[in-house]
Amino acid sequence: MQPLNEQQVIANLRQRDDASDRYYAAWWIGKMRSQHPEAVPLLLDTLSALSDDPVDEDDRGVALNAIRALGLLLNPAAHDPLMQLLGSKDYSVREEAARSLGAMKTKAAIPQLCQLLSGGPAAAGREQVGASTLKEPCEALLEALGNIGVNNPDVVAVITPFSAHPRPLVRAAACRALLQLMKEQRWANELEQLLQHPEPLVRRGVLLDLGASGWTAALPAIEDASVEASLKLVALRGLAEQSDDIKVLDVMDRLL
Amino acid sequence: MTASDLQKAVLALDRATMTSELVKATQTLCGLRNLEAAPTLIKVLGFNNPAVGAVATQGLIALGRDVVPTLLVSLDVGNYGARAWVIRAIATLRDPRGLDLLEHALKADIAPSVRRSATRGLAEMELEGPSFFRDFSRCCEALFKAAADDEWIVRYAAAFGLEQRFCQNSTDTGLRMQAIAHLEQLSSTSEAVKVVQQRAKLALQRLQAE
Repeated sequence: MQPLNEQQVIANLRQRDDASDRYYAAWWIGKMRSQHPEAVPLLLDTLSALSDDPVDEDDRGVALNAIRALGLLLNPAAHDPLMQLLGSKDYSVREEAARSLGAMKTKAAIPQLCQLLSGGPAAAGREQVGASTLKEPCEALLEALGNIGVNNPDVVAVITPFSAHPRPLVRAAACRALLQLMKEQRWANELEQLLQHPEPLVRRGVLLDLGASGWTAALPAIEDASVEASLKLVALRGLAEQSDDIKVLDVMDRLL
Repeated sequence: MTASDLQKAVLALDRATMTSELVKATQTLCGLRNLEAAPTLIKVLGFNNPAVGAVATQGLIALGRDVVPTLLVSLDVGNYGARAWVIRAIATLRDPRGLDLLEHALKADIAPSVRRSATRGLAEMELEGPSFFRDFSRCCEALFKAAADDEWIVRYAAAFGLEQRFCQNSTDTGLRMQAIAHLEQLSSTSEAVKVVQQRAKLALQRLQAE
């Protein structure tokens, strides 16, 4: 199969006959950071299907990929449409919208993100009967607040209770956000402790949180973690790109 | 040390089922520092258990370059995990007998972590003897290819590798100029990943400071 070019991908996203071509096109545009002038308008068009009742499953898949792509393209035209999606009934739509808004550092989304987290672990963070998810996509919401990076007492007050959530990955997301906002070593300590968790899946998640925090003091903990080198390198990439510290590159060299 | 130590350790490994038992048995096997334990340690790499694989790889590396021939003949092409560990061990041992294998892994392996390890190996391999210049140029050509890999971590490893290859050696000015050109490309905005740019810039600084 020939690799697709940008023109074909744009055409594939525009057509309505083949859902899998549209699905792949929406992913491709984000992955390749397409700067085609029609990319963002076409991605935004896919979102309208989310207000249909009932929502078509194929269209929903395309829209979820479009939300992720918008978070990679960082085009301001996506701020408002993505904020509207935080009010969606669909958990995954709220989750992906929060992630993309965090990546875009959309300050205007902060009140809505805080609203979704209101009530703390006992409400937004409550376990759902018969489902593996919590009531709200807490990890994505917390990470978005940390990435947007506005450190004010209201935001900190919303996030802090989640640092005691029963789920380790929710605790990690809260500590990561607090570390990004407050830049205090105590939150890095919490994360480093979680890095000792017996579950490999938790250790991997925490490692990426430490990397995303840009906290260079965590460098030795990342290097020594019992997680595979490939993932440490991903975490260290986050650290290096935020800190511009040669020490991080030296550790990456040792892990190659 | 006696043969029965080896037999006992292999038996303990066969009986182990939980990760903690496997790690312990593998550690015992490594502790014997016996080349005859190598085939068993290589078998352990295929268990698809990262904790155990890491211990076994360290054990194989600790056996030194005498283990390289065994590693070269025992590569399990069907098992991605085992393959990655073997490439890693050979890269760490810096043995020039691994050149064919690393070159091929970088060219053909679908796993980015294998291509990454192979790139590091080609950067650090200790070349010597009459074939020095030919092998040096093969390593460089492979690193130039790695600099154009689809995966950012392989391009990062290429930037690291070009610095290693040329920080002491300035005999071949043609290859050196090509290396600088590749590093300039990786440090420019045509490189999409910031950390690759950062690493390539550092390599250029270090090479041009000499």
